[in-house]
Amino acid sequence: MWFFILAELSVFAILILVFAVTQALKPQMFSESRLLLNTSTGLAMTLSLLTAGLFAALAQEQVRRSRSRHGAVFLLMALLAASVYVVLKLTEYRHLLASGLGMEHNTFFTLYWILTGFHFLHVVLGMVILGWLAERCRRGLYDANTRSGFESGVLYWHMVDLIWVMLFPLVYVLS
Amino acid sequence: MSVSRVLLVCWAALATLSVCTVALAHVGATSLLTMAILLVAVGKAWLITDGFMEMRHAPRLWRRLMVSWALVLATVVGLTLIFL
Repeated sequence: MWFFILAELSVFAILILVFAVTQALKPQMFSESRLLLNTSTGLAMTLSLLTAGLFAALAQEQVRRSRSRHGAVFLLMALLAASVYVVLKLTEYRHLLASGLGMEHNTFFTLYWILTGFHFLHVVLGMVILGWLAERCRRGLYDANTRSGFESGVLYWHMVDLIWVMLFPLVYVLS
Repeated sequence: MSVSRVLLVCWAALATLSVCTVALAHVGATSLLTMAILLVAVGKAWLITDGFMEMRHAPRLWRRLMVSWALVLATVVGLTLIFL
């Protein structure tokens, strides 16, 4: 699992660096385009992902104590928090598309759609994994001795969080 | 401190640092602020790896690899934005 996570982090590192280098080459375009994004929405998305990460970690602690059903409740709370991110992101995407700010608008938005879209797909996959873990927890299939699969799934979610905390300032904040 | 309490403290710190990121951006757009915002991001990444991912209990090599991902990335991004 750790090799997979490092591979994913490497891919995102390359994309983030491409974004940074392009911003350095076209600073004015990036500054003007960034004004079309809502930083408060980006902050709300950050908080929802981090809250989902907290609940996923709390679920892991419950499973370690062999309280699998409590873990399922925390995972459902994590899914609820992650859903806020999904709703906000889809609303942002819809708003941008309605304003004609699609992938072909300019270089900033090409990279914006690639970077955030790729991350969004990871969030959706992470939510599927958390949902699957919640169902298995509800059925009592995890306990203190059989939790390695559970921990791998939760680690995947934390990786999604980790990528976002580097992506958020670059895409929404840094001028 | 219990594990649950450590996680809650990490989350509170992460939320506070996220608000700081936006607040710093509203102050202005200087090289110093760029470095400060990236430093905050590295701090958040450290909280996630050592706190949520519990890398503080992991073998030193893996812990260093995970923490250095954010540190190296932020350094290269910062140098790129400031000097390129």
